[in-house]
Amino acid sequence: MKDFKLAEPKSLLQAAAFLAGSEGRATVIAGGTDLLGLLKEGLVEPESVVDLATVPGLDALRMSRDGMHLGALLRLTDLAAEPTVRQAFPVLHQAVNAVGSPQLRNMGTVGGNLCQRPRCWYFRDAQTVCRKKGGGLCYAVMGRNRYHAILGASVCHIVYPSDLAPALISLGARVTIVSPKGERTLPLENFYALPSVDVRRENVLEPGELLSEVVVPVPAPGAKSVYLKFMERGAWDFAVVSAAAAASLSGKRVDDIRLVMGGVAPIPWRLEAAESALRGKPLTEASIRVALVEGFKNARPMSENAYKVDLAKAVAGRALAALTART
Amino acid sequence: MNAKVPRKTRALAGGRSPRRRPQAAAAPAAPQPPEKFRLIGRRTPRVDGRLIVTGAAPFTHDLRFDRLLHGRILRSPHPSADVVSVDLSPALAVPGVKAGIVLLAKGRVRYAGQPVAAVAALDENTAVEALKLAKVEYTVLPFVVSPDKARDASAPQVLDKPNVQPLDERSRGDVAQGFAAADAVVEKTYRTSWEVHQPLETHSSVADWRGDRLTVWDSTQAIHNVRDQLAQALDIPASRITVIKHYMGAGFGSKLELGDYTVAAARLSRLARRPVKIVLDRRENSTCVGFRPDCVMTVKAGAKKDGTLTALQFTNYSSGGTGEGDGSSEPLYDLYQCPNVKVQEFQVATNACEGRATRAPGHTQGTFALEGALDELAAALDIDPLLLRVKNLSTKNEGGTGVPYSSKNLDRCYRLGAEKIDWSRRNKKPGEGQGLIRRGLGMASQIWYGGGVPGTQADIVIYRDGSVEAVCGTQDIGCGTRTHMALVAAETLGLEPEDITVRIGETAYPWAPVSGGSLTSPSVAPAVRDAALKAAEALKKTAAAKLKIPVEDVVLAGKKLSSAKDPSQSLSFAEAARTFRHEAVFHGERAPWTAGFAYNTFGAQFAEVEVDTETGKVKVVKVVAVHDVGRILNPITAESQVLGGVTQGLSAGIFEEKLMDGVTGRMVNPNLHDYKVATTGDTPEIVPVFVDVPDDKVNNLGVKGLGEPPRIPASAVIANAVYNAIGVHVREIPMTPDRVLRALAGKEKRS
Repeated sequence: MKDFKLAEPKSLLQAAAFLAGSEGRATVIAGGTDLLGLLKEGLVEPESVVDLATVPGLDALRMSRDGMHLGALLRLTDLAAEPTVRQAFPVLHQAVNAVGSPQLRNMGTVGGNLCQRPRCWYFRDAQTVCRKKGGGLCYAVMGRNRYHAILGASVCHIVYPSDLAPALISLGARVTIVSPKGERTLPLENFYALPSVDVRRENVLEPGELLSEVVVPVPAPGAKSVYLKFMERGAWDFAVVSAAAAASLSGKRVDDIRLVMGGVAPIPWRLEAAESALRGKPLTEASIRVALVEGFKNARPMSENAYKVDLAKAVAGRALAALTART
Repeated sequence: MNAKVPRKTRALAGGRSPRRRPQAAAAPAAPQPPEKFRLIGRRTPRVDGRLIVTGAAPFTHDLRFDRLLHGRILRSPHPSADVVSVDLSPALAVPGVKAGIVLLAKGRVRYAGQPVAAVAALDENTAVEALKLAKVEYTVLPFVVSPDKARDASAPQVLDKPNVQPLDERSRGDVAQGFAAADAVVEKTYRTSWEVHQPLETHSSVADWRGDRLTVWDSTQAIHNVRDQLAQALDIPASRITVIKHYMGAGFGSKLELGDYTVAAARLSRLARRPVKIVLDRRENSTCVGFRPDCVMTVKAGAKKDGTLTALQFTNYSSGGTGEGDGSSEPLYDLYQCPNVKVQEFQVATNACEGRATRAPGHTQGTFALEGALDELAAALDIDPLLLRVKNLSTKNEGGTGVPYSSKNLDRCYRLGAEKIDWSRRNKKPGEGQGLIRRGLGMASQIWYGGGVPGTQADIVIYRDGSVEAVCGTQDIGCGTRTHMALVAAETLGLEPEDITVRIGETAYPWAPVSGGSLTSPSVAPAVRDAALKAAEALKKTAAAKLKIPVEDVVLAGKKLSSAKDPSQSLSFAEAARTFRHEAVFHGERAPWTAGFAYNTFGAQFAEVEVDTETGKVKVVKVVAVHDVGRILNPITAESQVLGGVTQGLSAGIFEEKLMDGVTGRMVNPNLHDYKVATTGDTPEIVPVFVDVPDDKVNNLGVKGLGEPPRIPASAVIANAVYNAIGVHVREIPMTPDRVLRALAGKEKRS
């Protein structure tokens, strides 16, 4: 690991100004559960590391008319412990509890979870210069791709590993981005960008920009939501596939629904075709099956990951079924 | 029949051919073990347990010395290449770098990760960054990392001979006749994957060269091997080397020999005139220090309607990378009564690193294949798989054609296990259950060696103040050796375990074999027992003289020596010790086996699983593990061996696989996230059960080893339970969701 300078900003603006001035030679640390691995493997070699923990108030959770505000530095353990989250945002509560292990949740933060780098083993191997690192090949295509993308991949076949992202997108969350030029907000689902946009990164953050807050609208009364994560192991694993479903139902009939998959594409993947197929219809075994055939009809598996299509359908189907099963 | 036994298995079976051993053991009968003990067999917490769990026990990683340097190794990124030149000077010029050596100046690299050079610096990070500046020129060559592809005639040649080499060939009877006589024959191919040992403590050494003396603290299962091989590697007398291993963070077979990092640390220490420590990181530990060879095994099995086996045929292609493959036919050749057997095994070279012995080398893979095939045969015959095993029980080795086993209580294992799992709950026809989640029960048998190594030595030292030391040059790989030595010494000397100071883990102490192959307890405990019996005899003699009573009348118990006839006449243990002129050393040795028998351990495991037929996820609900390993020294440490072995087998059965990339030739999952080891979230209820009947022929305590046995059937038993649940055998481990779903899809197609 290369030596680096540690910057301890006292405000968000200071942090953003420092980042903007570093011309890409600085990186941000929140909980560090991802960054430390990247540093140790030599995948990032920043001159400076900007510690957001020194910015007061970034770890707050508060309610407003817009909904629930989650500070970027909010610890996952604290988010999980919040009674409002358990009561009003089940999909988020289930997602945060599915992250890593208690130790990782103690250190991990909301912002860090949303900005983590992919787990693709070719990306994580410093000796392999793949597309994402400026090389000419996506090694997964010819190589080992058991966990890689079945949807949305073109030049790069990573899957986005976050548990929180699909859950928050299913709830229609927005993110606030701060830079020396000011603030902007956008829906979380527009925060992520496909490799075809820029293969080197997974989101739309420009140099000098920081994710400062997530705002989650309060679901309508009676709304249902569910997060299901399929891991190979019983603990400490990223999702092979995961499904976040949030819906307003009249009895069994779907008034509105969002179905967002994790682990299947380079970004959290909304199954819009499945959503439209379900809108206005009752949630039944048959309607779910039809909707998921629709939702995955563009799946393009590779040599070792065709099983993920069946797996994703199974997990999505169970999440949808659970919307009516749970109270 | 000229059977070639792989070196790895030979070493673990006690240093000689396991098949020839019964004939080779020509010696007087071993002393009979007594029936009843006071301490041995009692649940005794580890004497060093508190030290270990509080972090006070010094592992090799923890060692700190004045002027210590930290070494790092430069490794080839190419799986196959010729080194043209190595220029270390830019690395040596980095401030803080104190010494550097070239390990491979010219010559062939045969796996990605092979050492090329090493430096020692004031801290590890400096060494890492300095090595990035070293200039190595390679001529990159074609390579092959897939064992299947390496078998192609067109594949690049890995070693100086063709990739496929014979490993073992043997037979008895006539298999053609046997199959002709069978009512049912199945023939199936079973595959196991490369499995990495992943000890919690990565491989590490500290070398300190002072004058002409070298001291090495090494994370090893074999201090004496390391000393002797180091003497050869460095061309210095073995007498000038001391190797020390006080606490061990596991090895599972990967630490049975001298490591190249140890040689590098020693050479760097000699150059720098300072102690040098090299600790491999997890990536190095995953890629450069061995793995369990994979096996592609075809089993053909034939039986009569009533289950009587008529013939077994076995072929195996096993790749140990640049090292030996694993012969995996031994369970099939030995365990069940069967007159006609034919075995052919081959090893396949690949540009992976050198495979190494891994907890029960060959037996785990062979058991997965054999026990899987027997379950498929039982289904073809429509009989209970347990009955099939019982039907073919043998009392002699080599399938009933060899010499008698010294003791074998496998039938009791079957009975106890079937009762504890409630075997009647199994699907009578595999896969007959309904629903998304299918339940199933399976069982599998186990055979291993575990008789220990004759010639193992230990000392009991009685100091004049009555304090006692038990000393042995063994190393505790984690099974509780210190506790076992304390128990045996205290038992024999009428003391308590805490009265015994145990010293182990230094080559200066009396010789003991490697800690591997289930050798430690049946080697070390009898040697300690022998020494302690001699000490007891001497104490009784001196007490008899002091008390003026015949020596036969002296009883050594409760920390004193007293007259059996008149207990009021007594001498405390310390008073008796004071009659010695100086501390007294009693030398003990583990005696040879009683000749004419085969010394093996046996067991049977039973598992209950749930298989999600939509996601392919296998969840193990319960494992009952019944083992017949002679007398149990300490139920706590014995159970702990079983919990570890079952968990490891479960992990290999469902999760673990070293995945190689065909384009780069490198392992893609060299870390503990992507190389998946079972977590507590995956660990089921495990019920250890012991037959606990002493083997009166094996040694003076009747104990056998338990390191390997619980690991051997632990993957097979889960695969068989999955078969019982879903009605299709997943013939490849680990049984990852993709493989389970593929097997299920294949079943749908067939039906």
